[in-house]
Amino acid sequence: MPAAGLRERVLEEAGRCAYCGFCEAACPTLRHGPHRGYGPRGRVEIARRLLEGLSKPTGEAVASLFTCLLCGACRVKCPLGVDVPLVVRGARSLYLAGVLGGRVGARPRLRG
Amino acid sequence: MGRLASELRALLGEGKVVDDPLVVALYSRAPDGLEAEELPEAVVFPESAEDVSRLLAFAYRRGVPVYPQGSTSSLGGLALPSGGVVLSFERMDRIREVSVVDGVAVVEPGVRIEELNVELARYGYMFPIDPASAAAATVGGAINSGAGGMRGAKYGTMRDWVLGLQIVLPDERGTVMRIGCRTVKCRQGYDLVRLIVGSEGTLAVVTEAVLRIAPLPENVVVALAFYERLEDLVSAAVAIKEEGVQPLIMEFMDADTVDIVVKYRGAPVEARGHMLLVGVDVNREATGRVLRWLAGLLRRHGASRVYEARSMAEAEERGLLDVRRALFPAQVEYARRALGPGAQALLEDIAVPPSRLAEAVEGVLRVRDEYGLPMALGGHIGDGNLHPAIAYNPRDRRSVERAHAAFREIMRLAVRLGGTVSAEHGIGLLKREGLREELEALGASKALEIMRAIKRVFDPKNILNPGKVV
Repeated sequence: MPAAGLRERVLEEAGRCAYCGFCEAACPTLRHGPHRGYGPRGRVEIARRLLEGLSKPTGEAVASLFTCLLCGACRVKCPLGVDVPLVVRGARSLYLAGVLGGRVGARPRLRG
Repeated sequence: MGRLASELRALLGEGKVVDDPLVVALYSRAPDGLEAEELPEAVVFPESAEDVSRLLAFAYRRGVPVYPQGSTSSLGGLALPSGGVVLSFERMDRIREVSVVDGVAVVEPGVRIEELNVELARYGYMFPIDPASAAAATVGGAINSGAGGMRGAKYGTMRDWVLGLQIVLPDERGTVMRIGCRTVKCRQGYDLVRLIVGSEGTLAVVTEAVLRIAPLPENVVVALAFYERLEDLVSAAVAIKEEGVQPLIMEFMDADTVDIVVKYRGAPVEARGHMLLVGVDVNREATGRVLRWLAGLLRRHGASRVYEARSMAEAEERGLLDVRRALFPAQVEYARRALGPGAQALLEDIAVPPSRLAEAVEGVLRVRDEYGLPMALGGHIGDGNLHPAIAYNPRDRRSVERAHAAFREIMRLAVRLGGTVSAEHGIGLLKREGLREELEALGASKALEIMRAIKRVFDPKNILNPGKVV
């Protein structure tokens, strides 16, 4: 998919999130990470903000997107059926293609 | 890196403070579309009461606003920051103790209610407060919002299930203290525990709670009924109570909302008309008798269709709870179909005496028609608690203004009917005006002065969740 089409598709999916947080308890990475960005709700919101151009990528944001296991457990719990792996995969591709405002150094962190 | 964040790192340790703007933004949004007007400078993740104490003493000296947060699933803006520092309890999520003999669970504030119930089920127990957001909602958030849920008519709200608390005060030393008891009976002077429950993080920060727990019911029979006429549904609900039965759950959705659910989410049963979902806890031996009585009563009061289940497991299998469960996603889908992507729903939380429910529902539908706003209506009919959901587009100023005007109108309706503007969600930012009007109607304007005085005693510098409640 060309970058413009992908951006639109990912943004549409990310925009469906109502931010209820029902997905978080299912996420295997959230409780090992230092903050909400290591869970599905956080990843979708970070992707949305990057794709809408509200913010440039930061080290924390990139670590958040690239620590997702793409297991899809969150999709099962989401009342609106948001396809979180699609959002994360799409945001990663766009970031690596350099269309989200450049590349930054990222170092994933464990909680504590 | 901001100067405040550097100081917080020096105070609490490198790993407990985050000031990355994209991460900070994750703690500045709520599920009803409300957002912080000003992003906080940092998010702090305490791992102990001592961490909280150090932070509050620092914030007191420096006059820094502190916004305690659980999972930010509350409605009405209770947990939204405006600058300052967010205090997130994600890392204080341990269940410290379960004692069946004492009938208590001792937990940290970041434990999610659903996770607590999974643990308690191993003992044959439950925590009966079940907000619709239980999958996300934390104990600390539920305490501070004074949460209720579907089982509210039988079990009440958080104020009935919190026995003791460890709290930290926003003072010079960040004083840590325990209040309340580990027993159901407790006369410790003025009831400070109940003052903290529902105080929305404006008085003190909760770092541990002693919760009362209840045995799981032996069995629950379930009936799902649909009515053409609203009055018939209300009369059925009233008759159940008049016959001396206190259902475990008694949920309502109006006919248009049932249509919305069917249209946007589908339904495993033929769902048409106003919905009444009733669950009654029973001894296993009484299952058949109670279910016959319940289904018979619902039909006698004019139900066009009644679906029955002999247990909660059977009700789940047959999807009898699905229509009610689909309320929240259907509300959001409906809002977005009507107003475009990005639309959200403002959720009301009024309660009226159950005897005035029919008037309340009619009044809400009148406001919906007058304002011409997409609105879905559901609620906990057993305790008179209704949750009209008003669709709006948070990015469209006119849409926001109209939604807020309708929101105020419905709060006034509740007050006129002798009810309250908030049953279980809390005041937050959205209902401050409603609270004032409700107290005025009671001739209790002085109550607000008393509340403000209490706030000053606990939080003299107004640094804890400022701008909320009073």
